[in-house]
Amino acid sequence: MTREKTFTLVKSYKPFHSKFDPCPPIGRKYYRTPPNLYINFQPPNMEQFTPEEALKYGTLWKFFYDFYDNPYRERET
Amino acid sequence: MNKKLDDEYYQLLEQIQAADFVLVELTLYLDTHPNDQQALQQFNQFHEYSQQLKSVFEPKYGPLLGFGNSPGGENKWEWGQGPWPWQV
Repeated sequence: MTREKTFTLVKSYKPFHSKFDPCPPIGRKYYRTPPNLYINFQPPNMEQFTPEEALKYGTLWKFFYDFYDNPYRERET
Repeated sequence: MNKKLDDEYYQLLEQIQAADFVLVELTLYLDTHPNDQQALQQFNQFHEYSQQLKSVFEPKYGPLLGFGNSPGGENKWEWGQGPWPWQV
Protein backbone atom coordinates (compact mmCIF):
# COMPACT_ATOMS: atom_id res chain seq x y z
CA MET A 1 0.00 0.00 0.00
CA THR A 2 1.47 3.30 -1.05
CA ARG A 3 0.48 6.45 0.70
CA GLU A 4 -0.53 9.47 -1.35
CA LYS A 5 2.06 12.19 -1.30
CA THR A 6 -0.12 14.93 -2.73
CA PHE A 7 -2.24 17.05 -0.45
CA THR A 8 -5.88 16.08 -0.15
CA LEU A 9 -8.80 17.12 2.01
CA VAL A 10 -9.90 13.51 2.31
CA LYS A 11 -7.94 11.68 4.96
CA SER A 12 -8.13 8.02 5.67
CA TYR A 13 -6.99 5.44 8.19
CA LYS A 14 -7.31 1.74 8.63
CA PRO A 15 -8.86 0.65 11.92
CA PHE A 16 -7.90 -2.59 13.59
CA HIS A 17 -10.20 -5.37 12.63
CA SER A 18 -10.62 -8.31 14.99
CA LYS A 19 -11.23 -11.71 13.51
CA PHE A 20 -14.09 -12.04 16.01
CA ASP A 21 -15.83 -8.97 14.69
CA PRO A 22 -19.30 -10.14 13.61
CA CYS A 23 -19.56 -7.52 10.86
CA PRO A 24 -17.60 -7.50 7.61
CA PRO A 25 -14.91 -4.80 7.77
CA ILE A 26 -15.21 -1.53 5.95
CA GLY A 27 -11.45 -1.57 5.78
CA ARG A 28 -10.13 1.87 5.08
CA LYS A 29 -12.15 4.62 6.72
CA TYR A 30 -12.37 8.09 5.28
CA TYR A 31 -13.03 11.50 6.74
CA ARG A 32 -12.95 14.96 5.25
CA THR A 33 -11.27 18.04 6.58
CA PRO A 34 -12.93 21.33 5.62
CA PRO A 35 -10.72 23.89 3.85
CA ASN A 36 -11.11 26.47 6.60
CA LEU A 37 -8.91 24.28 8.82
CA TYR A 38 -5.94 25.15 6.65
CA ILE A 39 -6.31 28.88 6.86
CA ASN A 40 -5.59 30.76 10.02
CA PHE A 41 -7.33 34.07 9.52
CA GLN A 42 -9.05 34.83 6.25
CA PRO A 43 -6.87 37.20 4.25
CA PRO A 44 -8.59 40.04 2.37
CA ASN A 45 -9.22 40.01 -1.39
CA MET A 46 -9.64 36.28 -1.88
CA GLU A 47 -10.91 35.04 -5.19
CA GLN A 48 -14.70 35.08 -5.35
CA PHE A 49 -17.47 33.24 -7.14
CA THR A 50 -20.04 35.13 -9.15
CA PRO A 51 -23.26 35.70 -7.14
CA GLU A 52 -25.09 32.90 -8.97
CA GLU A 53 -22.25 30.45 -8.43
CA ALA A 54 -21.94 31.49 -4.81
CA LEU A 55 -25.60 30.71 -4.26
CA LYS A 56 -25.13 27.31 -5.81
CA TYR A 57 -21.91 26.40 -4.04
CA GLY A 58 -22.87 27.85 -0.67
CA THR A 59 -19.89 30.13 -0.28
CA LEU A 60 -18.72 33.35 -1.84
CA TRP A 61 -15.04 32.45 -1.74
CA LYS A 62 -13.61 29.80 -3.99
CA PHE A 63 -11.15 28.67 -1.35
CA PHE A 64 -13.92 27.57 1.03
CA TYR A 65 -15.82 25.48 -1.45
CA ASP A 66 -15.61 21.81 -0.58
CA PHE A 67 -17.13 19.15 -2.76
CA TYR A 68 -18.39 15.98 -1.12
CA ASP A 69 -18.20 12.70 -2.89
CA ASN A 70 -18.97 9.45 -1.13
CA PRO A 71 -15.65 7.61 -0.80
CA TYR A 72 -17.40 4.33 0.02
CA ARG A 73 -19.50 4.22 -3.12
CA GLU A 74 -17.49 1.56 -4.88
CA ARG A 75 -18.41 -0.85 -2.05
CA GLU A 76 -22.12 -0.52 -2.76
CA THR A 77 -22.21 -3.27 -5.36
CA MET B 1 -56.05 35.98 -7.74
CA ASN B 2 -52.77 34.22 -8.47
CA LYS B 3 -49.77 36.13 -9.65
CA LYS B 4 -48.54 35.33 -13.10
CA LEU B 5 -45.32 33.35 -12.74
CA ASP B 6 -43.46 33.98 -15.97
CA ASP B 7 -39.79 33.44 -16.70
CA GLU B 8 -38.99 36.91 -15.52
CA TYR B 9 -40.40 36.10 -12.09
CA TYR B 10 -37.97 33.22 -11.64
CA GLN B 11 -35.10 35.14 -13.13
CA LEU B 12 -35.61 38.11 -10.84
CA LEU B 13 -36.16 35.92 -7.80
CA GLU B 14 -32.92 34.09 -8.47
CA GLN B 15 -31.01 37.31 -8.95
CA ILE B 16 -32.41 38.64 -5.69
CA GLN B 17 -31.50 35.41 -3.94
CA ALA B 18 -27.97 35.49 -5.32
CA ALA B 19 -27.45 39.15 -4.43
CA ASP B 20 -28.78 38.61 -0.92
CA PHE B 21 -26.54 35.60 -0.46
CA VAL B 22 -23.51 37.73 -1.37
CA LEU B 23 -24.69 40.19 1.26
CA VAL B 24 -24.94 37.42 3.87
CA GLU B 25 -21.41 36.27 3.09
CA LEU B 26 -20.01 39.77 3.13
CA THR B 27 -21.78 40.49 6.42
CA LEU B 28 -20.02 37.53 8.03
CA TYR B 29 -16.74 38.57 6.46
CA LEU B 30 -17.04 42.19 7.54
CA ASP B 31 -17.82 41.11 11.10
CA THR B 32 -14.26 39.84 11.33
CA HIS B 33 -12.69 42.31 8.88
CA PRO B 34 -14.36 45.63 9.66
CA ASN B 35 -11.51 47.62 8.11
CA ASP B 36 -11.56 46.03 4.68
CA GLN B 37 -12.61 49.00 2.58
CA GLN B 38 -12.89 47.00 -0.60
CA ALA B 39 -15.27 44.50 0.94
CA LEU B 40 -17.28 47.32 2.47
CA GLN B 41 -17.55 48.91 -0.92
CA GLN B 42 -18.66 45.63 -2.45
CA PHE B 43 -21.23 45.23 0.30
CA ASN B 44 -22.69 48.66 -0.34
CA GLN B 45 -22.68 48.03 -4.05
CA PHE B 46 -24.60 44.78 -3.64
CA HIS B 47 -26.96 46.40 -1.17
CA GLU B 48 -27.76 49.00 -3.80
CA TYR B 49 -28.13 46.31 -6.45
CA SER B 50 -30.41 44.21 -4.25
CA GLN B 51 -32.63 47.20 -3.48
CA GLN B 52 -32.81 47.94 -7.18
CA LEU B 53 -33.85 44.38 -8.01
CA LYS B 54 -36.49 44.39 -5.29
CA SER B 55 -37.90 47.69 -6.47
CA VAL B 56 -38.42 46.09 -9.87
CA PHE B 57 -39.79 42.87 -8.43
CA GLU B 58 -42.25 44.15 -5.83
CA PRO B 59 -44.57 46.32 -7.93
CA LYS B 60 -44.87 43.45 -10.39
CA TYR B 61 -45.14 40.36 -8.21
CA GLY B 62 -46.08 41.55 -4.76
CA PRO B 63 -44.31 42.23 -1.48
CA LEU B 64 -41.23 40.30 -0.39
CA LEU B 65 -41.13 41.45 3.22
CA GLY B 66 -43.87 41.83 5.77
CA PHE B 67 -44.55 44.26 8.62
CA GLY B 68 -44.08 47.43 6.64
CA ASN B 69 -40.75 46.57 5.06
CA SER B 70 -42.35 46.31 1.62
CA PRO B 71 -45.16 48.36 0.09
CA GLY B 72 -48.56 46.78 0.69
CA GLY B 73 -49.95 47.00 -2.81
CA GLU B 74 -51.66 49.61 -4.96
CA ASN B 75 -55.31 49.31 -4.00
CA LYS B 76 -55.65 45.89 -2.48
CA TRP B 77 -53.82 44.06 0.25
CA GLU B 78 -51.32 41.75 -1.51
CA TRP B 79 -49.52 40.23 1.43
CA GLY B 80 -51.93 37.33 1.93
CA GLN B 81 -51.83 36.14 -1.65
CA GLY B 82 -49.76 33.19 -2.75
CA PRO B 83 -47.86 31.61 -4.15
CA TRP B 84 -45.16 32.22 -1.59
CA PRO B 85 -41.49 31.94 -2.46
CA TRP B 86 -41.15 28.47 -0.95
CA GLN B 87 -44.00 27.23 -3.13
CA VAL B 88 -42.53 28.25 -6.46
